[in-house]
Amino acid sequence: MSHEKNHLPPPLDLSGWRMLPTLLMFVGGFLSFVGVLINPREFGFSWLLAFVFYLSIALGALFLVIVHHLTDAGWSVGIRRFNEHLASLLRWPLTVLFVPIVLLAPKIYHWLNIDPATDNTVAAKLPVFTYSGFIIASAILFAIWWFLTSRLSSLSLQQDKTGAAELTRKMRFHSGWGIVAFALTLSGAAVLWVKALEHEWYSAMYGVYFFGSSTWITLATVYCIAVVLRRQRILSSVLQPNYFYFIGVMFFAFTLFQAYIEFAQYFVVWNANMPTETFWYLIRENGNWFALSMILIFGHFFVPFFLLLPVKAKTTFKVIIPVCLWAWLMHAADLAFNILPAAHHDGYPLKWIWLPLGCLMFMGGFLAKIFLNKFNANPPYPQRDPRLLEAMGVSANVVYDLGETSPGGAK
Amino acid sequence: MSQPVNDKIYGLMAEFNTPAELLHAAKKVRDAGYNRWDVFTPFPIHGIDEVMKLGNSLVGWVSLAGGAFMFANVAGLIWFTNAFDYPLLVGGKPMFSVPMTFVPAYIMLIMGAAIGALVGMLGLNQLPRLHHPLFFKKCFEGASRDKFILVIGALDEKFSATETKQLLESLGGARVEIVEERD
Repeated sequence: MSHEKNHLPPPLDLSGWRMLPTLLMFVGGFLSFVGVLINPREFGFSWLLAFVFYLSIALGALFLVIVHHLTDAGWSVGIRRFNEHLASLLRWPLTVLFVPIVLLAPKIYHWLNIDPATDNTVAAKLPVFTYSGFIIASAILFAIWWFLTSRLSSLSLQQDKTGAAELTRKMRFHSGWGIVAFALTLSGAAVLWVKALEHEWYSAMYGVYFFGSSTWITLATVYCIAVVLRRQRILSSVLQPNYFYFIGVMFFAFTLFQAYIEFAQYFVVWNANMPTETFWYLIRENGNWFALSMILIFGHFFVPFFLLLPVKAKTTFKVIIPVCLWAWLMHAADLAFNILPAAHHDGYPLKWIWLPLGCLMFMGGFLAKIFLNKFNANPPYPQRDPRLLEAMGVSANVVYDLGETSPGGAK
Repeated sequence: MSQPVNDKIYGLMAEFNTPAELLHAAKKVRDAGYNRWDVFTPFPIHGIDEVMKLGNSLVGWVSLAGGAFMFANVAGLIWFTNAFDYPLLVGGKPMFSVPMTFVPAYIMLIMGAAIGALVGMLGLNQLPRLHHPLFFKKCFEGASRDKFILVIGALDEKFSATETKQLLESLGGARVEIVEERD
């Protein structure tokens, strides 16, 4: 395994792409700004779509960091640092990006304009379903993420200096309560910010669905970042070739898990056949929403599933990298399928497609800049993690080296 | 083949004391151009699959075929009984629809895939069989304990009882023995 390092191609030169985040910010920012001016409501939905898209990547990264600590994993030490940075986007960057949603909430969430006295679906959720309740609930979510991600990443950075094993135990402690908090806050975010767009609808699967989607898209992102960093020779010493198999196999597993949850949600609604639930799917059979739903069934599940099914596919970059990039498109389409029909019951007017794209570009550029700054300011992987040697494959047994100098008949 | 004895020989077996020696020998045997050979070790040895050029097992394909067969079968059965042969209205649902068939068909897909994996594994391993020529060698028991054994089959095109034996001895096999074919 270790001898493969010598065959790595020369480091990847990405300096030509350095301006990309700034460019995305400017173009996307311009499009978003035009959007706010001509149609604030349309802009609100597009902004929410882009926000939830990047939120899901950050939450998925937080999950990977927590799971790394909880399982005391060795191999994922190398990918942990940039996952911590991705999760850290949950602090001020995504909080700032959430402000327009708070400001535009009355245009996005129509229950804000309903008198609870006349509508039991709002009255039943009353402490939360007021403008101030919405803001307070959102603030609580961000506060929990803020505390959790800052503890996990600052302890990890501290360990780079001291190397104390005690810090690993502390991170494990924070992961312990963190996994519970993660499950509750992720479900809360999915329900409060996305499902509440159609507050009359009920689905107990929604939090799990959003968890599956988040981790799915994060694993696709992590795979791409890990490949780039290995090709740049930044993480090549801590990323053994079989670790890509591990990430790929998790990506494959979540392809199945996400589809399973999404189908289960549909199946329960279909089978129960209650008007309070079926209306959500009926709207999504109108106009081009139906076409999108078909694209999702095949593009979100069947195509990635069958492409990733062979064992070799998970480590063949030519196969899995296009699937990972495709996953970005499909995840955005999936979120659009969940969010945008609330604004357009009869199908999406494609003349507005530039607006969500602009929002996605702006936030992508903005968050990429912050991520890259964080990544460049700190060591690329935990320098003194107790499991680092294990991740590097140094402690593996001696049989590995098969060079011509093998101990032939020697005893 | 110059030696008619070959018909009665299953192959040649060499015993090694360490995994490193076995890996080294396996590399040489492969480079010498042998195709029908195998190793037997008490525990998995990293890298041996690469040396032996072991590809992916075909079991996955048998499993896939089994799963696909059962999926289509159950979906077809539901369509045949509910919508074609004896149309039955249940709970106001359509006579036939994909969500309705999916759960039972999926469950039977899992069973079909599992049976496919089991049958494929047994078939490709040519199991079950009650005996094997190697089991008659006393020293083969070491493969379950602390010995690392390499066997070159007599069916290999390059096999010759003398040259192959020389090769295995030159590789440092602690003990090189002929394995007789038995019926």
